[in-house]
Amino acid sequence: MIRRGLRVAARLGHHGALPGGPYILPTFSPASAFGSSMDSLESEFCQEKTDLKNYALPNASWCPDMLNLYHEFLEKTKADGWIRLPSFKSNRNHIQGLKLPLVLTASSDKSDCHIFTRCIKTEGQGYEYVIFFHPSKKKSVCLFQPGPYLEGPRGFAHGGSLAAMIDETFSKIAYLAGEGLFTLNLNTRFKNLIRMGSLAVLNVGVEKVEDQKLYISCIAQSTDQQTVYAKASGTFLQLQLEEDSSQYYTLCLQESLLPTALPTGTHPRAAGGVREVTGEVREKALSFA
Amino acid sequence: MLRSCTAALRTLRALRQAGRRVPRCEPVLARRWFSTEKVIPKDHALPNPSWSKDLRLLFDQFMKKCEDGSWERLPSYKSKYTQKSEDFKTYFLDSKLVKEQLSQAQLFTRGYEDGLGFEYVIFYNDDEKRTVCLFQGGPYLQGVPGFLHGGAIATMIDATVGMCAAIPGGIVMTANLNINFKRPIPLCSVVVINSQLDKIEGRKLFLSCNVRSADEKILYSEATGLFIKLDPEKSLI
Repeated sequence: MIRRGLRVAARLGHHGALPGGPYILPTFSPASAFGSSMDSLESEFCQEKTDLKNYALPNASWCPDMLNLYHEFLEKTKADGWIRLPSFKSNRNHIQGLKLPLVLTASSDKSDCHIFTRCIKTEGQGYEYVIFFHPSKKKSVCLFQPGPYLEGPRGFAHGGSLAAMIDETFSKIAYLAGEGLFTLNLNTRFKNLIRMGSLAVLNVGVEKVEDQKLYISCIAQSTDQQTVYAKASGTFLQLQLEEDSSQYYTLCLQESLLPTALPTGTHPRAAGGVREVTGEVREKALSFA
Repeated sequence: MLRSCTAALRTLRALRQAGRRVPRCEPVLARRWFSTEKVIPKDHALPNPSWSKDLRLLFDQFMKKCEDGSWERLPSYKSKYTQKSEDFKTYFLDSKLVKEQLSQAQLFTRGYEDGLGFEYVIFYNDDEKRTVCLFQGGPYLQGVPGFLHGGAIATMIDATVGMCAAIPGGIVMTANLNINFKRPIPLCSVVVINSQLDKIEGRKLFLSCNVRSADEKILYSEATGLFIKLDPEKSLI
């Protein structure tokens, strides 16, 4: 716990702590975002030391095709540079210690929120999927098995469920490949229906990164690649998350590490220069002082 | 019993072909004919306690528009036991389809407890070939924290545009869906999805749609869709 607190403190570090003033959405600064900080992005995302339930693990509902390919890719994570992405109940769990720029914070932010693709809890009934990601090649493979709760035409998966799975895979890749956050465009061309309970393999790649946008494409096919289910492309807006300073104060309080004065300076992942902290954080600072 | 069932089905089909306005979904009648149980499936396209004030207001406004017959509220059931789904099964599916899967299946957008997932109702205007969907996305549809998942929006757009295509087009399938997201939709807010049939070329139906806030001031998304009318002569598999 203390180690975590110190780790958060180090990461928050020199955040620019002059409170008050209007908040300005920082322009995305690629120079500060890429390079060694991408490793920290992945490790923050994966939350390796966590008690959170990881839904991207095999269970009894997975069909043989899915299990076989899963094990094949798991082998590749050992030597070929692939990572298996964990999947938690909410995106909030993937970004602990981070938050959206305040101008985008929505008013309703309930703790019982679930990410859309993990809300059907009964094994095998909804989305069964796991995403493997290759950071240096910026490509990904998603193994997706739709269950009976995703029905559209009788016996087949709803077109919307495939679009959602594509959007979800795109969003994880966009985030890890370049801090893409919001979908700007999703273009899906449906070719064939996916039979419920069968496996669809989504091959995803980042085409280019330009003007604060990531361009990603995907082909969804059957295991034997004989049937193409859909082809899709998506565009994502790059937007940096901010450090969630409110968590810093909570942790400090718990570890009796209350600062007498906040340090100044910049954090490696920030846009550069001293950033102004929002009024909300100022309130919290005052309440703990 | 079988004879009376087939006779009734024939009547329904005849009525449709004659262009008479009949309800699109007939699960209540169907169950009485095909099963000894007297279970009336729940119509989910009606207000429930999880509906916000905005959603109820809009619902009332559209119900008023239904009074003169220009608009029609479409009922919505969890299990897709409807005439259309039976036609789909008869013409397009392999009869050896696994029965267990079908019995567990439920319509994707209706598989949640009240208020947690998709709360929506679709209204249809036959003269203008338009559908309007009033949609409230619950906390189980989250993407970026505090906002609706892009895939959930895509699902509702597919459902609304699909309905707009299916009523004139019969059994249709999504061929293409192209969505431009302008602004993220806050979770648990109410949006209005307007879909329009733009043109029909043979078996292709071209549609467009926009997603706006309840007061129509914010444009959240715009989309275009291409749907194909399925050919009963060709099987899908």
